[in-house]
Amino acid sequence: MTIRRFIFTSIRTATVISLLLLLTAAPASAQMKFFTLQKDSIPVFRGFSVSFDLVGAGMATFGSYGQYEGSLRVNLHDEWFPVVELGYGRANSEDEVTLVRYKTSAPYFKVGIDRNLLKNKHGPNRLYVGLRYAYTSYKVDITRPGLTDPFWHWDADYSILDYPCNMHWAEVNVGLDAKIWGPLHLGWSVRYKLRISHKEGDFGKTWYVPGFGTNDNTNLDATFNVIIDI
Amino acid sequence: MKKWLLFLAVTLVVSCSSIECPLKNLVATNYEIYDSDGLLLELSDTLTIYSKTKEGKDTILLNRGIDIVGFNMAISKSHPEDELYFHFFRGDYDVTDTVWVQKEDYPHFESIECKAEFFHKLTGVRYTKHGIDSLVIKYSNVDYDDTKIHFYLYPDSDRY
Repeated sequence: MTIRRFIFTSIRTATVISLLLLLTAAPASAQMKFFTLQKDSIPVFRGFSVSFDLVGAGMATFGSYGQYEGSLRVNLHDEWFPVVELGYGRANSEDEVTLVRYKTSAPYFKVGIDRNLLKNKHGPNRLYVGLRYAYTSYKVDITRPGLTDPFWHWDADYSILDYPCNMHWAEVNVGLDAKIWGPLHLGWSVRYKLRISHKEGDFGKTWYVPGFGTNDNTNLDATFNVIIDI
Repeated sequence: MKKWLLFLAVTLVVSCSSIECPLKNLVATNYEIYDSDGLLLELSDTLTIYSKTKEGKDTILLNRGIDIVGFNMAISKSHPEDELYFHFFRGDYDVTDTVWVQKEDYPHFESIECKAEFFHKLTGVRYTKHGIDSLVIKYSNVDYDDTKIHFYLYPDSDRY
């Protein structure tokens, strides 16, 4: 337990330090410019786009856990992209060694913003960096059928059913988006997830959290997105 | 741009390690033996502790402990009361006490890769008094923490 706490503390500390370094490394003038729009003749509002993640959907369909996730993104001057993401995560898994079964399914949402880092903002391709806040409320079923006591041989009813939990987390994502044809784009992103707070039961901690992935203080995953400008 | 790439590199490095299951994963009660003055006692009697299985057969939980000052004892996973038999033996001294440990059981979960385990809260203890003077609960939560002493055992004060 102590080793694990130490690792978690180290991860959190290193993340906070890297964020602080990033912020302090940027000169004050650059920070002011960070929130401005490039001046040119292109209008600020450039439309909407919708996207769907194929990686999470593939995991949910063919694996023991995953999520279906779509997003709606507003294009502001090809530079800033406020985004809302909605998803539905599910897990139905049994470990073949421990025979512990874990089941959950719940919706989740994320809100945030991306920024196009390319100098040629209005070109066909984009390089994003973005931030998200995310939340989910979910219930878990955890069972281990057929468990017996090794000394007394009594049946041990190991079941946690319909237990309510929730989690808040933040994400930093980096992604690429390339125009394929007409309104169709394809893109991928890598997402670093940092748990902010969570409510779980007295029984310990949950394993898969819809939208966050397998539970830890941090998580890293990737998406492959089909994007359509509308 | 370089700063963002540096940040990404740092976050990638720091996000890659975790241990899923606890290294200490034994759930048991711990006993310490004291004399009537409250001093830690090395038990000169041979102590054997056993119980009865669901089928009614004896199951040995502590086999012939001698010169011991404490021991750890199994606790049932999901049963409201454990019935234990403490057998003290040395020479012509041969007595057995029955101990009933009442408890509440809670399933504990870390990950599906970790074995299913129960934690417990001790709620009471009863015992006969042939070789035991008293047996008291000192710490009621039974979990992976093996540093906690759950019971103080005081053997017959006429012998110690």
